[in-house]
Amino acid sequence: MAHQADEKRMLDDRGYTGTLIRGANPLLLFEKPVRDRIVESMYWKEQCFGLNAATLCDRAVELENIGGIYGAAQKPSKFLCLAFKLLQLTPERDIVLHYLRQQEWKYLRALAAFYIRLCWQPKEIFETLEPFLADYRKLKRRAREGFALTYVDQFVDDLLTKDRVCATSLWKLPPRTQLEDLDVLEPRISPLGEELEDIDADRQDGRTEDDSGSDVEVLDDGHGLGNGHDHDNDTDVDGD
Amino acid sequence: MADRKGAYGDKANDTSFRKTWDRAEYAEKAANRDHKLKEEGRARYEAAISGKKYYKRASTPEDAKETEARKSRLDVASRVGTTMLVSAGSAIGKRGKGAGFYCEACDLTFKDNRQLVEHENSKQHLYAIGQTGEVRRATLEDVKERLAWLKRKRDEETGREVLDLGTRLEVQKEIDEREREEKRRKRNEKRRKTKDGMGIVKQEVENDGIIC
Repeated sequence: MAHQADEKRMLDDRGYTGTLIRGANPLLLFEKPVRDRIVESMYWKEQCFGLNAATLCDRAVELENIGGIYGAAQKPSKFLCLAFKLLQLTPERDIVLHYLRQQEWKYLRALAAFYIRLCWQPKEIFETLEPFLADYRKLKRRAREGFALTYVDQFVDDLLTKDRVCATSLWKLPPRTQLEDLDVLEPRISPLGEELEDIDADRQDGRTEDDSGSDVEVLDDGHGLGNGHDHDNDTDVDGD
Repeated sequence: MADRKGAYGDKANDTSFRKTWDRAEYAEKAANRDHKLKEEGRARYEAAISGKKYYKRASTPEDAKETEARKSRLDVASRVGTTMLVSAGSAIGKRGKGAGFYCEACDLTFKDNRQLVEHENSKQHLYAIGQTGEVRRATLEDVKERLAWLKRKRDEETGREVLDLGTRLEVQKEIDEREREEKRRKRNEKRRKTKDGMGIVKQEVENDGIIC
């Protein structure tokens, strides 16, 4: 079973017959304007043509940032184009898991996490993505204007909590508590585990001693950012 | 026929310029065509009996290759500022080699690198090259192998980077030397091309542009 080199057949009016994600054509998970921008971009036409799950790795290891749409002309990021390609290819479970679990390339891992969040069932999403809340590597995120710093665990957390990541409306994920109540998932055991309990215990003790400032130090540098005082160094005698 | 007499009584000349026909080849071609017609007739008959419609399809050539991803990008930056001489009548519309980006397989010229890339992705071009437009599905082994290969490539490149300052300076010096040699060679070539090997002599006039 070979797949097509480009996305035209999948987006055709002739109808889609193939793997269904959420009961529909996988490519329709992205919104129409975003799809149009991706398909018209030079990166898609030149570099994403004729990729399969193995050659996609070539492109993915060259990724330098994650992101959605940027700029005035709403240019799609390469990350978004490759995510679209993954949706077109719909690779098998174990391939996606391999992308996610490999240690070498963090952007490939981010790509796999994004795909999993879009396509898999809630139970699997939580179970697969939660271990990666321990990955502290930095990621460069391309915002609409300029760049921002984020981390792999921050990105995974955004995927699990936010509604819109990387120019895509994510499918509504039931909250973890709901799944725990339904006995579908076990309650979460944080990797911090004992440290969290210690901190909680400290905080309890700290409150009973009525010294609420024990954990917090107030730095008094003389330039209090009080209400309405502006910061010009005027040499007035009266201290406004 | 070779010794027919012409009107003025002389023999017919050498007729080797006339086209000769390989009868055996054409007989074979005719036999093939008859055979194909028979096959098609049979297929149509069978389709008509079973109530289905007969579709005449062009078959995929046996040696059609599968499409693969581009290995390299189209190099446009190097052509910036260069001049190409093309003959005026060689391109009519898109057909023929004219000014712009040319596709050899289809004999089409495009004004834009974007149009060229779009054309290279099209069915028309893929058929001309002999590719099917379908991509082979990759298995988990393929993916693992590919990632291992990429890792090896990256490790080699980082291995080649030397962090010691001394060696880096030396390497840079060598690179500079080489570039200087290149420049010198080019300059000499340019000079040789001009008259008497004198190069283009810059005419300098005193007080040029200044009205005294």
